[in-house]
Amino acid sequence: MPDGIVKRIILPAIVIIAGLAVVIVMSGYLERVKPPLPDGYDDSDLSMNGSRLRGYGLGMEGLMADWYWMRSLQYIGAKVENSKSDLINIDDLRDLNPRLLYPLLDNATDLDPHFIAAYSYGAIVLPAIDANKAIAIAEKGIANNPNEWRLYQHLGYIYWKLKQYDKSAEIYSKGSEIAGAAPFMKMMAGVVKNDGGSRETSRKIFQQMYDGSDDPMVRLTAIRRLNDYDSLDELEAINKILADHKQNTGRCANSLVEILPMIAGVHLPEGRDFRIDNKNQLVDPTDAPYLLDKQTCRAKIDRERSSLVTK
Amino acid sequence: MESAVKKDNSLHRILVIAKNTFREAIRDRILYNLILFVLLITVSAIFLSELTAGQEARVIVNLGLSSTLIFGVFISIFVGVSLVWKEIEKRTVYSIFSKPVGRGEFIVGKYLGLCLTILVNVAVMGAGVSLALVYVGGGRLAGTIWAAVFLIFLELTIITAVAIMFSSFSTPALSALLTFFVFLIGHFSSSLRDLAQGLGSRSAILFFNAIYYLLPNLSNFSFITNSSNGDIAPIAMLGGAAVYAIIFDVVLLTITVVIFKRRNFK
Repeated sequence: MPDGIVKRIILPAIVIIAGLAVVIVMSGYLERVKPPLPDGYDDSDLSMNGSRLRGYGLGMEGLMADWYWMRSLQYIGAKVENSKSDLINIDDLRDLNPRLLYPLLDNATDLDPHFIAAYSYGAIVLPAIDANKAIAIAEKGIANNPNEWRLYQHLGYIYWKLKQYDKSAEIYSKGSEIAGAAPFMKMMAGVVKNDGGSRETSRKIFQQMYDGSDDPMVRLTAIRRLNDYDSLDELEAINKILADHKQNTGRCANSLVEILPMIAGVHLPEGRDFRIDNKNQLVDPTDAPYLLDKQTCRAKIDRERSSLVTK
Repeated sequence: MESAVKKDNSLHRILVIAKNTFREAIRDRILYNLILFVLLITVSAIFLSELTAGQEARVIVNLGLSSTLIFGVFISIFVGVSLVWKEIEKRTVYSIFSKPVGRGEFIVGKYLGLCLTILVNVAVMGAGVSLALVYVGGGRLAGTIWAAVFLIFLELTIITAVAIMFSSFSTPALSALLTFFVFLIGHFSSSLRDLAQGLGSRSAILFFNAIYYLLPNLSNFSFITNSSNGDIAPIAMLGGAAVYAIIFDVVLLTITVVIFKRRNFK
């Protein structure tokens, strides 16, 4: 082989490839020997305050707001991912200690006061952490965007969750007066006032949240809740059939398959039907089969397989 | 009659210098930054949906237009400060001035040539952002971002004029540093003025008021965040910003020409 080719091509190529290979090995080594960050590092206070950053972003405050927004999503995602509990109670996330969610969203909305998705996300998730903070972010959103009727919907939802039905109805009513507001806002004002605590009202609230929002986070939260309510309806109906079966035969059914013929005539709310998979099993709204607890003779959710999130 | 012919010739000479400056910028591969930009936007468009929970359109606007501004500022500063200096360093300025070319014509031509380069750069980047928006389903924003793109261009014309002004009497490194400071202070001036009002110190108020009025207030051209929310810039704002930019450009170029005319190239 000519000496020139070795010097000009092969030798440099070997140096580059070998160098990169060592760098890859070294990266892994350095990651291993680097002392880990303290446990509470993720929750250490934000060093920057959004309102103070405003005006110093070189006209790129929106980008900084997006960064805080993505950081808030990752923060909650990491909290859920690292949770030691098998089951996340989306009605109460305080066990996860996500205390930075509010400051992150507050910073995002300080930097971009018209960032509707950040207000919506805060209004939907923060009630499970700190209701006062949820109210604060929704009210801040309304103050900065008085024509966004959806923020009234979210604030009405927070008060409804707090069982303050009159206040909730008042907010829905206020929101319904905004030009372009969906007609259901007016209807919800009446429903929440008269029948705030019922499952049907809850279903309506989440159905409208689902139908009326383009935000995937809001829609995901709403669909999870709707699945929960559907499951509760189904479990109630199945348990009633199981109780009737036991009363008639003097024993608990051997399996849920045994009661399948009896559920044919049962109607669920909103005209829904039971779901039966191709293995002839009764399944919940996330397609996981219901289990039969023979000791209590009641059906239950298969927590291992089901994606239903509420306890 | 003679004066009209002279003006025509002057305009012709300015346009020739501008055209050559643009060609030179292309030859210097200034527009290669577009490749990096296209990569950035393409990767963002593909991966952002995973990170932003449905907000990819607004993030693309913020990221794309902020990058347009940053890339543009770097081109304005680094090309702007070397524009005149290079001609002096290579001694080509002597052969230019041996022809019937005025120093003012030379400066204005150089400036317009760089502005044309920046315009092409900004327009291509704007088109890239628009395409990315169409790809992620944010078609409505694809049209409304152009007001922000226009304002970014106006801001860059001022930065370019500042860079050329500093380079007319200073070294490229110092000129780049000073221009970057003007860019920073230009964005902070209104916030600093508000801060000074809050401090209550009379001298601070006077100082920051002076900065606010004497230096270009670049926050007048900030419309990226509004654009990401789908806001449409009012015509009065666009027109006002254009007039403001042109006045500053004229003032800065006049200062540059005055300084440049005093330089001795013999």
